[in-house]
Amino acid sequence: MIEDFDRILDECIDRINSGDNLADCLSDYPAYSEKLKPLLQSMHDVQKTYTFTPSADTKRAARQKFHAALGKQRQMTSVLPFFRIISRPPVWATVAVLVLAIVSILVIRPILNPPTLVPSPDGNFAFLISDEPNDIGDFESLNVTISTVGLRAAGSVKRFEFTPETKTVDLTQLQGEQAQEIWRGNAPVGQYSQVYIYVSEVKGKLESTGQIVDVKLPSGKLHISMPFEVTVDTVTSFTFDITVVATGNNGKYILKPQIGDSGVRQKQKPLE
Amino acid sequence: MNKGNRKNVSTIDEYEIRLSGLYEEYYDKIARYVYVHIDNKEEAEDIAGEVFLRALKSLKSYREQGVPMQGWLFRIAHNLTIDYLRKMDKRRTVPVDSVVLSGNDNPADTAERNIEFARVTEAMKQLTTEQREVINLRFFGELTSKEVGSVLGKSDGAVREMQRAAIEKVRGIMGVEK
Repeated sequence: MIEDFDRILDECIDRINSGDNLADCLSDYPAYSEKLKPLLQSMHDVQKTYTFTPSADTKRAARQKFHAALGKQRQMTSVLPFFRIISRPPVWATVAVLVLAIVSILVIRPILNPPTLVPSPDGNFAFLISDEPNDIGDFESLNVTISTVGLRAAGSVKRFEFTPETKTVDLTQLQGEQAQEIWRGNAPVGQYSQVYIYVSEVKGKLESTGQIVDVKLPSGKLHISMPFEVTVDTVTSFTFDITVVATGNNGKYILKPQIGDSGVRQKQKPLE
Repeated sequence: MNKGNRKNVSTIDEYEIRLSGLYEEYYDKIARYVYVHIDNKEEAEDIAGEVFLRALKSLKSYREQGVPMQGWLFRIAHNLTIDYLRKMDKRRTVPVDSVVLSGNDNPADTAERNIEFARVTEAMKQLTTEQREVINLRFFGELTSKEVGSVLGKSDGAVREMQRAAIEKVRGIMGVEK
């Protein structure tokens, strides 16, 4: 009984942290609402008391410092092996020949025979869905219908939205390294800071009983804040990782975005 | 993504990309988490920035053994917070008249908020260190109970139990005082 209550309380905290409101959670658990309400209200007071929004300037300065350190680290990673090699005299000549060969391939050849920029009919942006397998093993199928995907421009209120070509994906088929492309086309070139998806329907069928279960989605959309860039001459593939998590032994589940496994440049194998 | 498969393909490059991706979402949460411990917004912001720099430097030692990267960031934040408190030789004691909350010029409202701040702080001080950490990570770090468990080396069931006990205690103290 107490374990059940702990799980319900935990689920409500997750939902509130994801943007759901207290009343919705209480209405889902009328038998517990009298006990839940004062506890959640107290923690809301605690959160409100301590909460503050860090200064945008300080955050920006820290971001710049972080990216500068990241750039320096990447530079060092690529340069260090080179210095290690040249510090060994017998290898010097071989390296010099290799460097000349690479330079001739990368620099001289393109000058003599410049590459032709062919506009890609497939566009410069691809959007994929994947699944981080938390509790997906409980499902025979978990169909998520996505009505709209949006990209929010960095430092602006501008948004670019599109309707997926493939609207419904079965997350049980997208575990691990699997990902499914649901849209490909031309997105405006620029810096973006957030990706959000509107989910119109979630239908989950349990592996063990074949029962259709309730899968909640706090606030009707999932969003991930992550900086990325769309350019004109490359295809930027963004993988949005969704995970399903059991909220206890009550047969209820929630969908959550998995920011750590989402993003651009992740190596995904498209679903065959 | 499957953790087993990922372990084989994970590289420092991938970790760097993931760390960059976590910056936007977790900088604010880490700053709040630190602020609850040290009661200084500017220092909390600086420490949040430092967390990402430390993480970047230590990426080679990061291993995904049950601790997700966001949990690892909070471990770094915790260590930096402890260092800071040691350096300042300060424990969190907040007399009512020392608290100044910005953003409101009305003295009556400010006084009321200061009293509320002191009341909440006092309630939080009554928790055990572990209970307080669970509350901080759940409500300010917004980690899941499973992630909190991985940070603290506890099962998610144990975290849920500590969480309920902690909230009941806070509620009891604040309810009585109200």
